[in-house]
Amino acid sequence: MNIINKAFLKLALLPSPVYDRMGVDKRALTAILHIKLTMDDRRVSGLQQAQRRKSDKEVSSATIITMIVSAVLGLLYLMAFYIGSNIVTGLTFYFFMFFFMLSATLISDFTSVLIDVRDTFIILPKPVNDRTVLLARLLHIFIHICKLVLPMALPGVIYMGVKYGIVSGIWMIPMILLLTLLAIFFINAVYIVILRITTPQKFQNVISYFQIVFAIVIYASYQILPRMMETKGLLEFDLTTYTWSAAMPMYWMAVGWQSLTSLTFTIESVIFLFASIVVPLLCVWVVVKFLAPSFNNKLALINSSADGPATPVKLKKHKRSGIAEKLGTVLTKGNAETAGFLFAWRMSGRSRDFKLKVYPSIGYMLVLVVAMFIRSKDFSLATLADNGKEFRIFMIVGIYLMSLLLVTAISQMVYSEKYKAAWIFYVAPVAYPGEVILGAVKAIVVKFYIPIIVMIAIPGLMIGGWQALPNLLLGLFNQLLIAALLVYINFRNLPFSRKQNANLNGGSFIRNIGIMLVSVFIAMLHYAAYEITVVVCVVAVLSLIATWLISGSIAKTSWTKIKAEQDA
Amino acid sequence: MEPIISIRNLSKSYGTKTVLQDINVEIYPGQVIGYIGPNGAGKSTTVKILCGLLTDYQGTVTVNGLDVKTQTLDVKRQIGYIPELAELYDVLTPNEYLQFTATLYNLDREVATERIGKIMAAFGLESNVHQRMDTFSKGMRQKVLIASGLLHNPGIIILDEPLSGLDANSVIIMKELISRLAKDGKTIFYCSHMMDVVEKVSDRIVLINGGRIIADGSFEELKQQQGDKSLEQIFASLTAPESLSAAADELAKAMESRS
Repeated sequence: MNIINKAFLKLALLPSPVYDRMGVDKRALTAILHIKLTMDDRRVSGLQQAQRRKSDKEVSSATIITMIVSAVLGLLYLMAFYIGSNIVTGLTFYFFMFFFMLSATLISDFTSVLIDVRDTFIILPKPVNDRTVLLARLLHIFIHICKLVLPMALPGVIYMGVKYGIVSGIWMIPMILLLTLLAIFFINAVYIVILRITTPQKFQNVISYFQIVFAIVIYASYQILPRMMETKGLLEFDLTTYTWSAAMPMYWMAVGWQSLTSLTFTIESVIFLFASIVVPLLCVWVVVKFLAPSFNNKLALINSSADGPATPVKLKKHKRSGIAEKLGTVLTKGNAETAGFLFAWRMSGRSRDFKLKVYPSIGYMLVLVVAMFIRSKDFSLATLADNGKEFRIFMIVGIYLMSLLLVTAISQMVYSEKYKAAWIFYVAPVAYPGEVILGAVKAIVVKFYIPIIVMIAIPGLMIGGWQALPNLLLGLFNQLLIAALLVYINFRNLPFSRKQNANLNGGSFIRNIGIMLVSVFIAMLHYAAYEITVVVCVVAVLSLIATWLISGSIAKTSWTKIKAEQDA
Repeated sequence: MEPIISIRNLSKSYGTKTVLQDINVEIYPGQVIGYIGPNGAGKSTTVKILCGLLTDYQGTVTVNGLDVKTQTLDVKRQIGYIPELAELYDVLTPNEYLQFTATLYNLDREVATERIGKIMAAFGLESNVHQRMDTFSKGMRQKVLIASGLLHNPGIIILDEPLSGLDANSVIIMKELISRLAKDGKTIFYCSHMMDVVEKVSDRIVLINGGRIIADGSFEELKQQQGDKSLEQIFASLTAPESLSAAADELAKAMESRS
């Protein structure tokens, strides 16, 4: 345990005479908190989960990393103070970002860190009274929130202290505290709603969708906010002139802070100040009184499928063939290939790991395209419709940028937490594992790439007319060729058969970079040939033939070339 | 002799679903109880009630004269619980985990350290004591769990499928250990699906099905009632509604192709 956790533990145990009087077993309380904080130190935090690859190295100072990340986030929020013509507007945005990020972080932490279902088997059978367990849990949550909120608030407090005087900085502290209470209420409410609409079993999936949306929103704000700041409108934006701003608790707090620091109280500001204090406290009371009891009970049900006999699901009349089956039979030949197709199609839709890695990157791509629109200064539909340079650039970049997505999805398809289950491929009499791989690649292309190409093609054809079609097809075929090449050169793994780890060999990384460079090169050639329709058509056909030939070679990949997970 | 565990008229239901119905068992010190039944028969629920994890049941359950419902903590102190499925905090090392367990049982630190060292050495894990358990095999985790259940020298040991994942040698150690502990006067409550092990280690077998006790007695007594069969066969004849060989027959026939 590091010094920070030790300090927090000391702090949490300061009121131990009070705990004694409450009938809490101090020895057990210390032991539980100690173990929980040690475990926190060894866990990859929710913030990093989406991006970071699991490393084989043992994590031992996750707390410090979490705190540094929080502090950096806190620094980023300072951006908000550039928004608006007055401090109330900027501060409202600051509070808003603070609230959003804190809630988003805590939402995943609550299930992964704070409520551990193993406690039922490990702590509850031990002779520890309920009060101790409850207090340990509350203190753990408290410490966890402190670890996030303190470093996160620090940059803001210092900034305000330096800019408006120490007293103003200090007044930030109670406001952030109230905001934190509000965030806790918000998370509780979200949990209750999720538990209402889904079963506890699906809960984790819903939470991972939250994480995905969260990652995309952050990326989007990172891409778009700085650009928006350059525009004048944002600088002159003034929340105080709008009546709807009164509906936001963050606005109340900003107004409250201002009247406290400037010591000017109007009727309006006093009302807001009052509301910003009373409403969070009221919310906490609601949490403690109404939400928390049922909340804990319901959370206990998460992952408790092992409890009691599984209720048999009513036999549904099985649909003869869903869309996946139909596509699978049309697009693949041979049973191994069809099996690979269906396997990858279903796993990619259900594996939480895969979704957490690939879905955000789909979002990033869409954000990038939108950012492209915003970036180009005199961008309008009129200039696009001329079928001129802008349109060409838009089409080429749009199409070829998506290869990033395809590369991500295809290389991610190799990994799974359940990598051991891949034994089935080895025991089954599959002559060429390449057929399984090809089927799986086809599934990924159809499921993740084709819809996006269609999304680009529709506006492209609408603006550019049918003349854009050969170019679109060439782009599509080139992408497929690149993907096929990537698989052919790089891909010696069965779908969902490898354990994710950080020590990817450098060779494959360089090869990936190589693929990207090839992609850029092809995109440039395509751009040069864009106007010459005959060339475009001929090359498109050639590209398609090449793709077909390479897929044939992929299908012939033999067992000797397949890499398997080496398990010690 | 006073029974050490006494379960009288125990019933438990989740909502409208009844899991246990009118269970009555008296268990005496030094007995090894084999508690068996098909999946969903109510075994885990009984275990949870005995461990004090579930207190909203009907009937009375006492351990060493203490009511499980009202004197839960005193009951928990006397019980060593070894859960199945290797439920433990695997980012910790065995030493950290076992020290933690010992603290919760209010064990003296020095005593704990000594016992942890001895138990781990006996299991052949002394070189892994300071290694994080996330790299451990199922069997190694199970050994740590067994250690955590025995550390505070409990009078009653509740084992829930304790041999899963253990290698043959460790299974032998565990079986011997169970008889040794019973000889020392400890009561063992053994839940398992492995009929051959239950047949060998238990001196009394309680069979439940659908939340009711349908057989209770030593293996010899069960054989007298049910005919000279193995425990596996007795189990099948009491719990399977239809002939199992007919089911096997159907299974075999399913593979016969039409073409």
